[in-house]
Amino acid sequence: MTDPIIDVQGLTKSYGGKRGIGGVSFQVAEGEAYGFLGPNGAGKTTTIRVLMALLRADHGTARIAGLDAWNDSVQIKRMVGYLPGELSLDPGLTGQQILEYFGHLRGGVDQAYVAQLVKRFDLDPTRKFRHYSSGNKRKVGLVQAFMHRPRLVVLDEPTSGLDPLNQQEFGRLVAEVRAEGRTVFLSSHILSEVEQTCTRVAIIRDGKIVREGGLAELKDIKLHEVTIAFAEAAPAAAFNAVEGVERVEALPDGKTLRLTVHGGVDAVIKAAAQHPVLAFTTHEPSLDDIFLRYYQTERSPEPVPAHV
Amino acid sequence: MFRSVYLKTLRDYRVPILGWGLGMGALMLTIFTAFPSVVATPEARASVVALGPSFAWIAEPIKLDTPGGYATWKYGLTLLVVVLWPILAHTGMLRGEEDRGSMNVLLSLPRGRVRVALEKVAAMWTALVLMAVIIGLMAYTGAAKVNAGLSLPDAVLFGVNLAVIGAFFGSLGLVVSQFTQERRPATGITSGLLLVFIVIDMVHRVIPNTEWLSRLSPVYYFNLSKPLVPGYGPNPGAMAFLVAMAAVMVAGGVWLFSRRDIGGVVPLPAKLHLPRRASQSERSALQGGWSLRSVYSRSLAVIAAPTFWWTLAIAGLGGWMVVIVKQAEVQLNKLLQGSPLMQQILHVGGSGGTSATILSSLFIFLPLLLMAFAVTQASRWAADEEDGRLELVLSTPQPRLSVLMARFAALATATVVIALVTLAVTVVASGAEGVRIDDGNLSAAILSMVPMGLLVAALGYLFAGWLRAAFDTGLLSFLLVIWFFISFVGPGLSWPEATQRLSAFYYYGTPLLNGLPVWDTVLVIAVAATALALAAARFVRKDIAV
Repeated sequence: MTDPIIDVQGLTKSYGGKRGIGGVSFQVAEGEAYGFLGPNGAGKTTTIRVLMALLRADHGTARIAGLDAWNDSVQIKRMVGYLPGELSLDPGLTGQQILEYFGHLRGGVDQAYVAQLVKRFDLDPTRKFRHYSSGNKRKVGLVQAFMHRPRLVVLDEPTSGLDPLNQQEFGRLVAEVRAEGRTVFLSSHILSEVEQTCTRVAIIRDGKIVREGGLAELKDIKLHEVTIAFAEAAPAAAFNAVEGVERVEALPDGKTLRLTVHGGVDAVIKAAAQHPVLAFTTHEPSLDDIFLRYYQTERSPEPVPAHV
Repeated sequence: MFRSVYLKTLRDYRVPILGWGLGMGALMLTIFTAFPSVVATPEARASVVALGPSFAWIAEPIKLDTPGGYATWKYGLTLLVVVLWPILAHTGMLRGEEDRGSMNVLLSLPRGRVRVALEKVAAMWTALVLMAVIIGLMAYTGAAKVNAGLSLPDAVLFGVNLAVIGAFFGSLGLVVSQFTQERRPATGITSGLLLVFIVIDMVHRVIPNTEWLSRLSPVYYFNLSKPLVPGYGPNPGAMAFLVAMAAVMVAGGVWLFSRRDIGGVVPLPAKLHLPRRASQSERSALQGGWSLRSVYSRSLAVIAAPTFWWTLAIAGLGGWMVVIVKQAEVQLNKLLQGSPLMQQILHVGGSGGTSATILSSLFIFLPLLLMAFAVTQASRWAADEEDGRLELVLSTPQPRLSVLMARFAALATATVVIALVTLAVTVVASGAEGVRIDDGNLSAAILSMVPMGLLVAALGYLFAGWLRAAFDTGLLSFLLVIWFFISFVGPGLSWPEATQRLSAFYYYGTPLLNGLPVWDTVLVIAVAATALALAAARFVRKDIAV
């Protein structure tokens, strides 16, 4: 990787002995969309707030575009757009006034582009911030993060509270930003969201990076929970050997199976099609569930070496 | 203590119960203990009695030669400071929880809104009763030391009377908070009403045949009870009336709360609506002209409304003091000329004339109010960081130092505006009333309030480097009360000068009589600048909102 735009090495931050991050290292290349995955309290926000010079690291270095995140924070913020995890703004200002204010603080922004972003997210900028729903508050935050066309956008849980349509719009915006050679760094605890928007991913748990690599390299941790209701007695044995099935559980009614499937569910669908099926539902477990299974059930606590 | 809303709320109030109870109790203890030195000789005792009618606007002068009578008269106004906490607590108990979002969670429990609200009010009133007992016991201890002849029931009733007036204004705050979007405006409006009612109560003691007007003020009914005055006692009817009014307001407030949206307000009747505001886009264009251009201008816009109300209060009080002084001038001239001791009681010196002498003793309230304003605004700085409102501002290319200095500069601008308006009002009032005051000294007295306000603000910014908003506000308020206590009570107790130097008011001096104490003012500015520099040094290094 040549001249990473984000270069974090051995970053450590603790809150008086409480949970923080310990020895976090990763690099993000210019122009890529980098996902920072982890369950709640894993250290995602702490890492981001150190990058934004809102927290001062105890040890290690964090550099953005070759500049020190703490000492050169003002220079860095000229090229960075930021969306915090919890957005707190003046409740008495309208969305438009908030965007105008932050536009001024950034030394002026392209108003036409701001209007375009507002339209894309279907945001009503005339309402006061206090009257916005959580999703609309998020939209205000997203617009202000992108409106000055920053070289690097740092987003903490960007789609939290957004409806599916706006999540899609967000995905398109990230793709456009990438296409222009700019960089997106986003945190999330939703695996599928990161899958759709990012090219590389780091997984953080208990303040440490446990996996890092391209999306394809992380497919092995993806799990689905599939529930199949059959018209007759559930053929549990028929699924034990199906590709990707890790666990088969027969529910008390005797006609329903719950499967834990690693990777794609194509083989499971084909196997189920051999029997009369009443209902077939699948859902992606939360990252917390994945971690729980991946690191406890599998009994493989050793972090897998990072793939950079 | 977490078994019910009532117990949890009572637990939340444990520090204010002790703080306000012990603080007010200590004041009473000190006043009683100091009384013998005030009336050490028969001449001094006679002078105090003679002085009373001239200062009847403070409180009704009855049996001023007794410790209870003297305390009731001289500290009649000061005692009402205890009402501030019930106002803060009542406006915060429902609206404050809505501001924080915790009301949503609380109301998701299988409890009705009315029950939740009533449990909170019950906890508040229990806290007031506990506070009243503490105050009463400490007043009784002080009175016993000087053989004031105060019975324990009367001492406790003195505390209860304070609790009752606190409950009245708190309940008023509860009602007001149903009509405001946030807690702060409700607190401001209720505090403003407290000031208005205090003035309405004073009117009948200054202007004859106006008792009908003063009867409209709840403070009038509070003052009908004088449990500390021997043979006078409490007025059960007045106390019952205030309790009944408070209960009615609580019922009204809870009823409104039970019918409105959480996070919403009770709509005012159409007749009470303010004139239609400009549309959002019009306002946006107007505000965009100045208030959204920088951290300084935005801070100035945010502080504009409280500055307006505080200016009204401080300038109004300044002008009103001038009017009061004119009325008391003639009578006091005689008293002061005939009694050097009286001059000592009034802490006079210099050569400013009678008006300046009286005004000087009153003007101490002006810097106190300006400093209280600074406390509220300094606490907003701490609260903004705690609430995460600085997060996005600090993600823009604004150096932390610039953000802090811009906020402080806006506050400094507000204090200067308040001082200038106050100066203008007092100059006009003195001209209109024919009160003779040296213009230079008057300017010095009012403008030197600014460094006092900035000192408090700088200390608030400094404390915010380590403390959460609530503790920052608490510490600043405590400091302010202690300073005022030292300067207000210390001279009467003949405290050593070294002790009096611990109070910032010492350095404010008596500029109306003796002109600007240049070096003391420089010292205040230097301490403020140092505190601000330390606050800045801390802020540029600290973790934000941890």
